[in-house]
Amino acid sequence: MDPQTFENLNQMLDHESNIREKIREQVNEFDKKTRTVVGILSKIHSTHSESIPSLIETARPVLHSCSETIADLVSLIPPNQFWRWKDMWCNSLRTAVFAAALSEYLTKGTLISLESTSNMLGIQEKWKDRVHLAVEDYLHGLITMVNELSRLAVNAVILGDFEQPLKISAFVKELFSGFSVLNLKNDTLRRRFDSLKYDMKKIEEVVYDVSLRKLVSKDSPVKPTSSE
Amino acid sequence: MSSSIYDHFLFFRESLDDYHDRREKLIKASRDITNISKKTIFLLHRLALEAKDASARISASQAGLKKLHEVQKMYADMKDDLVGDQFWRYQRQVSPGLQEYIEALSFAHFLENGKLVTYEQVQATLCGADGVAYFPLTISDYLLGVSDLTGELMRFAISGFGKPGGRSRALETCNFVRNCKSDFESFTPHVWELHKKQAVTAQSLSKIEDAAYTAVVRTSEYDLPPEMLDDIVNQTVLSYNRNDRKIERGDDNGEEFNEPFH
Repeated sequence: MDPQTFENLNQMLDHESNIREKIREQVNEFDKKTRTVVGILSKIHSTHSESIPSLIETARPVLHSCSETIADLVSLIPPNQFWRWKDMWCNSLRTAVFAAALSEYLTKGTLISLESTSNMLGIQEKWKDRVHLAVEDYLHGLITMVNELSRLAVNAVILGDFEQPLKISAFVKELFSGFSVLNLKNDTLRRRFDSLKYDMKKIEEVVYDVSLRKLVSKDSPVKPTSSE
Repeated sequence: MSSSIYDHFLFFRESLDDYHDRREKLIKASRDITNISKKTIFLLHRLALEAKDASARISASQAGLKKLHEVQKMYADMKDDLVGDQFWRYQRQVSPGLQEYIEALSFAHFLENGKLVTYEQVQATLCGADGVAYFPLTISDYLLGVSDLTGELMRFAISGFGKPGGRSRALETCNFVRNCKSDFESFTPHVWELHKKQAVTAQSLSKIEDAAYTAVVRTSEYDLPPEMLDDIVNQTVLSYNRNDRKIERGDDNGEEFNEPFH
């Protein structure tokens, strides 16, 4: 290899590892924020349902602040290289999706769309080739939400809230049939989808227990959760 | 199911299906490319082994490069699936075939020029007539591809060892591979798969070095130019072959050999 070529290659490689370093810094920031949000949201298991909306409000500013980190991230990514680097932040991003979806469900009882999640995290359409919310990451976030809701169904009962499991059950069933529409390959999404049935089973058992013991009053309205 | 959730998931299905289909398609193409590249390498070995002089080696290289046009055509067909940021999405599927192609290309290049094909030269073979690259060549694919060249050169040096001029070629090749190894060493912190390749290169290198050692020790015993040594060896080989054939035709020797089995 002549010295010039050698030097060029080395420079290119150095440039790449510089980018990687800088992205890693931002991902750390992103990670800190999502962890804080998840920390706050984990209190839903010990919060009575009427106080949950105000708990979620305390998590919202941190969640929104993720958009700053994402904007910083975008400035680091060279054009057309979204897929090259996305693995570095996809865990944080999935956690953020999870937090957004859980917040949306617990305040409005509805499923947050991919577009709304994207907007909530301040991801702009014009960044498409550098940072966007991929379908896969969104779906991963939703599955994490279901995992969490199956715990909430149990813990709500502990707190004496017997209606929550029924609402969760209706919502999760609907989401599950959505997932059933997909042709999943043998990848991580598929494996995580397979975990949903255990969550469903757990929720069903709670519903069975509270219904059989007549812990839910007959006239308590359990509306279909998706209002759209 | 509320219609909006259903519609959303239908859209997700489409997008995931599209991804999986393209992925499969590119995996198949990559396998075909690997296949053609491997065949090209064999072709180059065959022709280079028969080649008696530099011009014959150049025409061997040309034959290999011609076969690699098939691969270049396949990349031209793939470019629509790899446009823009999509290349990076499927990079892991594309890269095995690409590395094999680079290996074949670098071998052909070496036979013709005795040099390592450069990053720019490889990228230039992956461009349309308009000069626009089908996709960006990554440095790691380039390095991992040319790193495999050292294994081929080891085979080339050892199997050509007994041929006229083979010994001096083994020495040249030895130097070339040694330079490759030391050049690549500084890249290994950046490209982690290169560690394994460097280990293989080290093995190949020590095989060539052993062969080169033999060459030096043996030629040192005779104060003759290497071509004359080649002639002497050749004549011996030829006369041996003639005797050998006589023995095969002879009656008594054959029976003696067969006796233990009766």
